[in-house]
Amino acid sequence: MSICDGDLVDSNNSFAKQREKIIIDTDPGIDDSMTILMAFQTPEVEIIGLTTIFGNVTTKDATRNALLLCEAAGYPDVPVAEGSPEPLKGGEPRVADFVHGSDGLGNLFLPSPNSKKIDKSASEFLVEKVSEYPGEVSILALGPLTNLALAVKRDSTFASKVKRVVVLGGSFFALGNVNPAAEANIYGDPEAADVVFTSGANIDVVGINITTQVKLKDADLEELKQSKGKYAKFVCDMCKFYRDWHVKSDGVYGIFLHDPVSFAALVRPELFTFKKGVVRVETQGICVGHTLMDQGLKKWNTSNPWTDYSPVSVAWTVDVDEVLDYIKNTLMKP
Amino acid sequence: MATEPKKIIIDTDPGIDDAMAIFVALESPEVEVIGLTTIYGNVYTTLATRNALHLLDIAGRTDIPVAEGSHVTITKGTKLRIADFVHGTDGLGNQNFPAPNGKPIEQNAADFLVQQASLYPGKITVVALGPLTNIALAIQSDPDFVKNIGQIVVLGGAFSVNGNVNPAAEANIFGDPDAADIVFTSGADVLAVGINVTHQVVLTDFDRDELAKSNGKYAKYLDKILGVYFGYHHEAYSTKGVYLHDPTALLAAVDPSLITYTEGVVRVQTNGITRGLTLFYNKQKRFGEVTEWSDKPSVKVAVTVDAPRVLKLVMERLINS
Repeated sequence: MSICDGDLVDSNNSFAKQREKIIIDTDPGIDDSMTILMAFQTPEVEIIGLTTIFGNVTTKDATRNALLLCEAAGYPDVPVAEGSPEPLKGGEPRVADFVHGSDGLGNLFLPSPNSKKIDKSASEFLVEKVSEYPGEVSILALGPLTNLALAVKRDSTFASKVKRVVVLGGSFFALGNVNPAAEANIYGDPEAADVVFTSGANIDVVGINITTQVKLKDADLEELKQSKGKYAKFVCDMCKFYRDWHVKSDGVYGIFLHDPVSFAALVRPELFTFKKGVVRVETQGICVGHTLMDQGLKKWNTSNPWTDYSPVSVAWTVDVDEVLDYIKNTLMKP
Repeated sequence: MATEPKKIIIDTDPGIDDAMAIFVALESPEVEVIGLTTIYGNVYTTLATRNALHLLDIAGRTDIPVAEGSHVTITKGTKLRIADFVHGTDGLGNQNFPAPNGKPIEQNAADFLVQQASLYPGKITVVALGPLTNIALAIQSDPDFVKNIGQIVVLGGAFSVNGNVNPAAEANIFGDPDAADIVFTSGADVLAVGINVTHQVVLTDFDRDELAKSNGKYAKYLDKILGVYFGYHHEAYSTKGVYLHDPTALLAAVDPSLITYTEGVVRVQTNGITRGLTLFYNKQKRFGEVTEWSDKPSVKVAVTVDAPRVLKLVMERLINS
């Protein structure tokens, strides 16, 4: 199994030339909000748009929160395209308001934003931008993968034109967080996740087996609060609710940095190692939402549901200290 | 040993590594093999019965009863996956052995298991080396079986690793996922030894030469039938050795100190692309919602194995036979 060092060289070269165009597909969400604010503080990337999805909140609330965050960050002109209100197979989406508060932002209940979402849907916007800049746009997908699956279905060249998709989702050879089998983002739309993972796009997936290694502990949160970080106070206020849930759920006195770690995988891939393999998602039964990667350790003597698909890169190890430093430093930037 | 030997019943689909496990059991003073029950898997059930009887002929132990098991899955499925490409079409390395002298007993496997468990409550260990249909049938036919049976040591599952039938599933569990889920959630004392553990126990080409050079009765017999098994491993895994799945599970029953285990709930996926996936929940993390793992009884799942000691025991017992 190779570490995807080829990829790494490419992205380093592009940093030198120009800012990397990114679209964040997001369901803000406390750790989504941290990530969006971090991205605005990162000169190597240019946020060319946000697309919204259900997950931590409903899609409608995700759109409101995305607009709020762009305004709060001083970028009210960044386009926000609203995504699908429901998973591919239809029905009420699962919303994790018990993790992020009923407003998705730790029950801060901020006033409504002044700016408006654009007229295009998320999948239309994704297809349009990727076609406008083929091979240049990276997507950071922080919620269920419905919008990306719709983009793949809408345009058969989407997968080949997108530069890279970094997915926060799944749990590889480890427990899920919705139930023992499934991680929340994949569980939110398993069919969509399977479409995306088997699309042939250049995908890096960061599972919670990686992200739960990187914790912002109570002491770190205090340090952040005392810092001169541009968004530090807002982030700390928002994190209170999230932190209390972590104590209840995992006995962690602090928070997991799922979304910020995935952002780090996008801009600082050298802090991770990856393994390549085909990933499929179970869409039925008690393990619905389970992500299963063929590590390629055995030559199968018959075809199986993993054969004949393109491999994706699965984050395998993370330099915990360096990634935590990177995230803290970014959040503490004045 | 001061205590009397532990009574074991081996539920088996012989199978090259099954043959090895059965011979090791017969050479282990710590245990008394009180019966073999047969199942499909490496071969069809009829052939498993024939091979079980043949192996007892070789051992001169025709006193041990063989009870034939189910020919179909617990859901009456007849489309069985048979691993003849691993063990040869005869299940024993394509040696064309003569027909056995003995016959299976009249009782079927599930009835035999139920009867023996109630005769010796808490005393019997079942070592299950194939799909779990017979054990699930025993559980369904007698509500007391799970408390009467001492322990069920299952060779099966792939815990936090890829399977060996496909990336999701290990062969024994894949053979009858519904039966496996019944066994794992039955409340019986179950110890699962998955391929994440058995893949650590490798018999190398060198070890095989040692078996061939020895005067051990079983060692010489096994050397003959191991060719097909070695060939398969070389092709599928590019290894110069074979995994000792069944002997490892058998020895875990003989001497529990050979492994370490953890406890929690195991469920088996019974449909979809990951059919046969074994998913373990350690009961540590708390989930916001009730899950399919909530309120289910715990089982033991092997985590580590003293591989050198297992290999040494296998070699010694086969060579000194």
